[in-house]
Amino acid sequence: MRKWIFSKLVVGSLVLTGAFLGGAAAHEGHQMKCDETAMNAMHADIQAMDDGEAKTTATGEMKMAEEMMAKKDMKACATHMHNATEAIEK
Amino acid sequence: MHSAIEFKGGESMPDSGASRSATRWLIGTVAAVALLAAVVATALVYMGSFDVAADKPHSEPVFWLMNTVRDRSVAIRAAGIAVPGDFADAKRIASGAAQYDEMCSLCHLAPGMKRTETSRGLYPRAPELRRKSDLTPAQQFWVVKHGLKMTGMPAWGVTHDDKLLWDIVAFLRKLPELSSSEYQAIVRSSPKTHEEMMEDMNMDNRP
Repeated sequence: MRKWIFSKLVVGSLVLTGAFLGGAAAHEGHQMKCDETAMNAMHADIQAMDDGEAKTTATGEMKMAEEMMAKKDMKACATHMHNATEAIEK
Repeated sequence: MHSAIEFKGGESMPDSGASRSATRWLIGTVAAVALLAAVVATALVYMGSFDVAADKPHSEPVFWLMNTVRDRSVAIRAAGIAVPGDFADAKRIASGAAQYDEMCSLCHLAPGMKRTETSRGLYPRAPELRRKSDLTPAQQFWVVKHGLKMTGMPAWGVTHDDKLLWDIVAFLRKLPELSSSEYQAIVRSSPKTHEEMMEDMNMDNRP
């Protein structure tokens, strides 16, 4: 009986952990990455913005992200993409 | 006789001949250029040169052209529309709010609402209507009623009567002033749900 309960607990824990990791991975997949698709999406967002401070900021951040991407500095690129997103959603 | 004809037309004939020749050359050139342009355009179309993918934005000149075509088209067509005078009516605004929440917020979002998967994937992006709009009420009505080609904006006039569409416009005029909680409250205050409004609607009044 103890063995049975223990095995159920182990299986349950594995299922829960798997579900959590799967959910986290799915959520991660939903995030904007520093690649061509994300860059194009950002360009489309900026195109739709009215002229103003937010658009200027987003455009500047986008340019810096492109420069970082050209230099293969993906971490800095992602940071500028994040900043651009914040300006777009302001 | 022969020489008289030559004499009479002697001064004008050479000019007239040159003029005809120049006209023929001009027509021939225009026709050739038009034919070449048609051939090139046909070749570009059949080669699939224009990328219709919604995740690749237009170049700036194409984006400007599309926007200008859309804005001018809407402005001209909405020019003769008579606008009702009761936009401030609370019932009308609340009715519009319920419809907006049901039909529009997925793409155009609402105060306090984060961007949705749909709003992020549409191209061109649906404008966030909580921000100030440059459109007049008549232009907003026209767009809501007739939709916009190649934007994902449906023609709500196919399924909704003018009264309901004007309710939406009344709400759109109010929307930029609303906070998140005010938006929720005004949606809840609607006398009827969208479904109930659809059931009550009389489409026989549709122009």
